Amino acid sequence: MASISLRSLVRPSLPVAPRIQPIIIAAFSTTSLVSAAAPPAIKNRKDLPKKTKKTYKKKQNIVPVKKPAPGERKAFRKRIQLSNNSALPVAGLDALEAQTMARPESSGRMFAVPDEVVDQLRALEAFKSTQTWNLFRKPHVLVRKETVELMGRLEASLEKKEAFKCVLTGSRLSGKSLMLLQAMSYALLNEWVVIHIPEGQDLTNGNTEYSPVPDTEPMQFTQPVYCLKLLQNIYKANRAVLEKTPLKQDWSRLSATLKPGSTLADLALSAKESEFAWPTLSALWTELTQPGQPPVLLTLDGLAHINKVSAYRDPAFNPVHAHELLLVRTFVDALSGKTKLPNGGAVIAATSQNNTHFHPSQELALSQLEAGQAGKPVPKPDPYERKYDDRVYDALKNSTVMRLEGVSKEEARVLMEYWGASGMLRSVLDSRVVAEKWALGGHGIVGEMERASLITMRM
Amino acid sequence: MVFILGVSFHEGQLVKKALESFYALGPTTSARIMAKYSIHNLAKVGSLSPKTVTSLTAELSQMSIESDARRQVQENIRRLKDIGSYRGRRHAMGLPVRGQRTRTQTATANKLNRVDRRA
Repeated sequence: MASISLRSLVRPSLPVAPRIQPIIIAAFSTTSLVSAAAPPAIKNRKDLPKKTKKTYKKKQNIVPVKKPAPGERKAFRKRIQLSNNSALPVAGLDALEAQTMARPESSGRMFAVPDEVVDQLRALEAFKSTQTWNLFRKPHVLVRKETVELMGRLEASLEKKEAFKCVLTGSRLSGKSLMLLQAMSYALLNEWVVIHIPEGQDLTNGNTEYSPVPDTEPMQFTQPVYCLKLLQNIYKANRAVLEKTPLKQDWSRLSATLKPGSTLADLALSAKESEFAWPTLSALWTELTQPGQPPVLLTLDGLAHINKVSAYRDPAFNPVHAHELLLVRTFVDALSGKTKLPNGGAVIAATSQNNTHFHPSQELALSQLEAGQAGKPVPKPDPYERKYDDRVYDALKNSTVMRLEGVSKEEARVLMEYWGASGMLRSVLDSRVVAEKWALGGHGIVGEMERASLITMRM
Repeated sequence: MVFILGVSFHEGQLVKKALESFYALGPTTSARIMAKYSIHNLAKVGSLSPKTVTSLTAELSQMSIESDARRQVQENIRRLKDIGSYRGRRHAMGLPVRGQRTRTQTATANKLNRVDRRA
């Protein structure tokens, strides 16, 4: 009886049928009960076990990493890589020479761009990070039918002593920027002075400094910081030509270092601060448009952006048309023929299909010019469209439109052979593969062919 | 550090942001001020010439911003209260002024609607 009463005082254990498994009264243990540490005595409320609030926040795994410096990531994104040591060097291709691209027999062949020209083109920012230069050992270019035609026109401009004014247009990825690059290489090889505006957008999206020119109506603006950079690029790329061309006018008011015997290079270098960049650039342009100076190639990519109303505002808060920006105006005047180039030379603008906006007047002007060149009926303006801009028409009306589309199958084959020789094309190159990629690339649109064949290689 | 209207700004800060940090100076006004002094959209405070900074300060000191603007708001509310209008009373009670419900969700009203409004 006593044992039962005692049993009732201890904690209830699991009900286990005694006959199946005997109840173990004391668990096997070698330590005595006394040696177990007693729980801490509870003396006041502080000693009560605290409720910890459960947090569902992720524990931050803080690992000390060095963050990239400001601008580093952008620099990485925009880097231009012009060689690739994993690619095979392609033997047996000639380098470009002064007249190579203008000769009809070069049509449909690949040529290497000479190293010094590569440096100059790099200074001009002619290479783009979207182009696939980083897949090959050395920059090579395909001389297309249109290339020969364009270079022929450039050559002819020297004899005519008149600027060749041209707008390159065509489908997306059809090689307009590359054609500009080829024109620049031609000009550099022939000792022209090359001025290249790599992206029209940079001038008009309001992201670079501007300052009004006093006493102008409507108000005009200069872009000092951009002009200084452009001036430095012009100097870097055309140093050899500029250094041997003496000045025709006296520019000592710009800088005390400019003496009567100074060269164009001295003029370009005389601007050390952005404040003096535009006067110097304008002086350089005036010098280059004097008879007896070297011929000039003036190029611009992204035409639609310089034909619109810019993101800048004048002091009265009115929007500024891009043609009121003096650098843009210089280009537009040259393109429209208002500024003559008495030594020959060319003004080439390329449209962009990736980075553009719908521009009714530009589309109309270009289609009208193109129809006029082909002898077709000239398209009429849409009577319901209100956003036509006469200034754009005036800027473009004297230029030649050159349309770039796909390459021919023979040119595609040459290009793909080069890819194969560089080790970038895994499949055996036969006419079937060429025809396949040519068709996949929208009938030979070079960029699309690259996408179809080299996309796996692209990082 | 560049001082505009007595406030110091870090050199890397956008001019637009710096201007809009003043009470009662919003995007429209900042765009107009920047156009007036031909400051481009991405200009940083550090790139402004000392002359521009001085003229910006002069320009801002002419405008009713910061304490002037706050005082205007307070005066408007006080006027409502003094004429004994419903809106004035609601301001004084810290309750919604424009007919919103008061059963729930009057935190903003509690915070803002008072006679000596600060923010």
